[in-house]
Amino acid sequence: MKIMNPPETNDPLDALLREQDKYIEDNGFTARVVAALPRRRRAWLRPALLLGAVAIGSVLAVLWLPWGDLPVLDLSALLSLDSQMLMPWVLVLSVMAALVWGTISALEWED
Amino acid sequence: MSFTDADLIARVLSREDHNAFGELVRRYQSPVRGFLARMTRGDAHLADDLAQETFLKAWQKLQTYRGGARFSTWLFGIAVNEFRMAGRRRKELAWEEVDESSMEPVEPAAARDNHLRLDLTEALKLLNSNERAAVVLCCQNGLSHEEAAQVLDCPLGTVKTNILRGKEKLRRRLAIAYENYESA
Repeated sequence: MKIMNPPETNDPLDALLREQDKYIEDNGFTARVVAALPRRRRAWLRPALLLGAVAIGSVLAVLWLPWGDLPVLDLSALLSLDSQMLMPWVLVLSVMAALVWGTISALEWED
Repeated sequence: MSFTDADLIARVLSREDHNAFGELVRRYQSPVRGFLARMTRGDAHLADDLAQETFLKAWQKLQTYRGGARFSTWLFGIAVNEFRMAGRRRKELAWEEVDESSMEPVEPAAARDNHLRLDLTEALKLLNSNERAAVVLCCQNGLSHEEAAQVLDCPLGTVKTNILRGKEKLRRRLAIAYENYESA
């Protein structure tokens, strides 16, 4: 079976190369491949599990993170590098980044 | 009634239809096995093993085929990867540089006689794997340079260079006066 359009060319070497491209008889090859087919992996399973984990993580984040106690950040607080001011924000931002990363990974999953 | 590739792929994805996949294998076994036979320098047994692996990978990864490229182009991409992996295991298959000393032109008379086809088969074996892959994909299987670049996962310019170099080596090896070939 010739599956593609040969390039338009007058090069005799191209003609010779195409001439050599002979059809190979199946001779049981297809049957061997089909007999060896494994069960297909369920492509949706892993991203679905990842999305589930993200959903659970989101619920836990809403419940457990100290949303009401977050200190107000201004420029002087940022510049002071005061860990008591910054750590709650670092924690919140880390959790949010992990959740966003998990969501993107699940949506772009390719097996 | 004949199904299109897209119909068959849809059946495989939705119903895990072995018969539909078998039809795809039947359609493309010849070009894939032929390509791999060239890449393995005529080792038909190894080529068939790699071709079988290629189709099994295609079965496993079919949901990643987006339909942007032709199915055959996608299959050739898997076949190239299988060949490269085999090359890592078997030294003689590596993407080696050709030994220029083996490229001495043969006697012109030998190229003109009816062994021309045999000479071409042997000459192809002397190209390095990059050149051979580019020449076989584009000049034998009719892929465009862009498709070959996609299959070989390399820049378009590299494909063009490999084709030019490969064909130049073939011409030198065959030592053909093309007018003679055309008149033969």
